[in-house]
Amino acid sequence: MTGSFAQVFFLAFFGAAAVWFGVVVFRTHSMVRSAIALLFSQTAVGVMFLLMQAEFLGVLQIMMMATEMSVMAIFMVMFMMDPGGLGAMEMTHQKRLSLWAGGLGLVGALAVILLSDWGPAALAIPAAAEQTAELGRELLGRSMFIFQSAGLTILTAMVAATMVAIAPEKERKS
Amino acid sequence: MIPELIIALTVGAAMFGTGLYGALSQTNLVMIIMGVELILAAALVNIVAFWRYLHPDEPAAQMFVLIVMAVMAVEMAVGFGIAIARFRTRGSVEMEEARELKG
Repeated sequence: MTGSFAQVFFLAFFGAAAVWFGVVVFRTHSMVRSAIALLFSQTAVGVMFLLMQAEFLGVLQIMMMATEMSVMAIFMVMFMMDPGGLGAMEMTHQKRLSLWAGGLGLVGALAVILLSDWGPAALAIPAAAEQTAELGRELLGRSMFIFQSAGLTILTAMVAATMVAIAPEKERKS
Repeated sequence: MIPELIIALTVGAAMFGTGLYGALSQTNLVMIIMGVELILAAALVNIVAFWRYLHPDEPAAQMFVLIVMAVMAVEMAVGFGIAIARFRTRGSVEMEEARELKG
């Protein structure tokens, strides 16, 4: 055991919340509720990071997902014929295949988790400030090329997405 | 046996299964993006758990989390770009009506 009982309990609690809200995303007919359920699920994941003493990543996850899911909710309302879900439209296909694929993925992952020997737990962990400093040194040192590539990829994706999304000139003039 | 690691990995596995079901079963593009987001969140949980309970002295694991977050942002940007383009031309983001995109 690496932590206290409270740590294990809250890790399990917020883990269950993350999974439960993840399931709610696909169970509700309301698209707005789906976006909010995904927001709660991602926030629960952020709290799990905080419980695992990854303070910087936990706060980053919560802040990033709050923004991302708010944008997603706006898109939902814009694009859906029935964003409130009042018409109870059926928006699924190949349900049986999807259930089998999801179930097999879960069972396969559980088998690996339970049958693997994970070795001894690491007891000592750097303090939050030291972790952030180490991450900064990693980003601006050994992994700088990877970090810069990620930034460039985001920039390229933003430009490409904007180019795809804006209407062609002749369409705008007509 | 490390109970915290097993709990975190089990949560990751359950989120992966749920996300895979969602990405395969939904007909709406925005809902498919939500499924992929859940799968990537499962990857995040696993990476942080491996870092915390097996290699807390290795900052490269935290860097990898930032890369997965970047992938999430890219996936959202490209997905919504395609959604806007389809909605403008076809008036719908239902993937059942997008069979012409099939290779």
